[in-house]
Amino acid sequence: MTHDALIDRLSEGLKPVRRRRLSVDLLIVAVICAVELGLFFGMGAARPMPMLMPQPSFWWRLGSLGLIAAISAALTILSFNPVYSPRRASRWLLAIGAICLAVGFLINAGPDADKNLIARLDWPAGLQCAKKMILLSIPAVIGLAVLMRRGAPTDGRRTAWLAGLAAASWGAFVFVFACPFNDPLYIAVWYSVGCGIVTAVSRLILPRLTRW
Amino acid sequence: MTESEWRALMVAAQSGKGEAYRRLLTEVSLWLHRYYVRRLPAGMVDDAVQEVLLAVHEKRHTFDPAQEFGPWLGAIARYKWIDRLRAMKAAPTEELSDSLAIRDHGDAVQDARSLEMLLARLKPAQAEVIRLVKLQGMSLEEAAARSGQSVALVKVNIHRGIGRLAALVRDQADDA
Repeated sequence: MTHDALIDRLSEGLKPVRRRRLSVDLLIVAVICAVELGLFFGMGAARPMPMLMPQPSFWWRLGSLGLIAAISAALTILSFNPVYSPRRASRWLLAIGAICLAVGFLINAGPDADKNLIARLDWPAGLQCAKKMILLSIPAVIGLAVLMRRGAPTDGRRTAWLAGLAAASWGAFVFVFACPFNDPLYIAVWYSVGCGIVTAVSRLILPRLTRW
Repeated sequence: MTESEWRALMVAAQSGKGEAYRRLLTEVSLWLHRYYVRRLPAGMVDDAVQEVLLAVHEKRHTFDPAQEFGPWLGAIARYKWIDRLRAMKAAPTEELSDSLAIRDHGDAVQDARSLEMLLARLKPAQAEVIRLVKLQGMSLEEAAARSGQSVALVKVNIHRGIGRLAALVRDQADDA
């Protein structure tokens, strides 16, 4: 097909399009997250919350994960614009993650440090935590994947990584309301496992699903 | 055509005005031809132009009239270009056509200079075999004999070198 023939075919019967708006994408993600959080509380899954609230680690987890989720979700949505490159911002995000982790160890430097490592990690409970975090991140992953498919990211791999990180940290954020564990080692290990799985799977799958 | 004219045509196209869209795509195809003729083997230019026209069509809703049209189009063209470089890397070396050699005309001087600057950032062994096979059109065996590398090593160095070139181009684009 020649260029002219292709141009004719594309111009004929052209229909108006609804422009993609950053604010609408942000709103969609916020609504998905709000509905999920509402259902989580509505189903009574956040029962341990009153017991957790006096603990500094509860606020540390909530603040850190909320911050990472918000920043990475915003960067993901910005990356749907072909002109925006998330490369530099991703590095800052990694630095923020490292700072959050360091702050956690400082404010709660191992209340269970006298226990041995195996007991602190509590494998059966840790695997359950990771599984729940993964499940809680699914709505956000799906929402971001749909938006990514509609957008035009020109750095698909990094955008997919960011989308996975945003969804994973959101899933972990929601799970904080139900997680009774306080040991920073346990949190660092099992939250990283849950978030890491979601991020890695998103990084592998989303570029294929959203290729354009 | 000026930036503001391009933008006005794109805004009209987003509203469903076919004639404005036709004018825009015609201008865009000329621009894309100039863009790719410097960056791709001659045999790939037309396909690349059409691929971007289709991408522009599919993603026209992502253009924000508050931004400039040129960078938006440039980002899409660059994205598709990197895609093509990756495809070249993935394709078996033996099946690449001779048309990969740089065309010998005036513009090619500038293109060759840009390419040389990129090649200079590769390992010497990689740059040498890319020059011999991809630019001078030698067979793998000829390149192996000329460079003193085994045929298998020539293949590996071409594969890795093109991958590295794609990464360099992407990094430059990100830094721009």
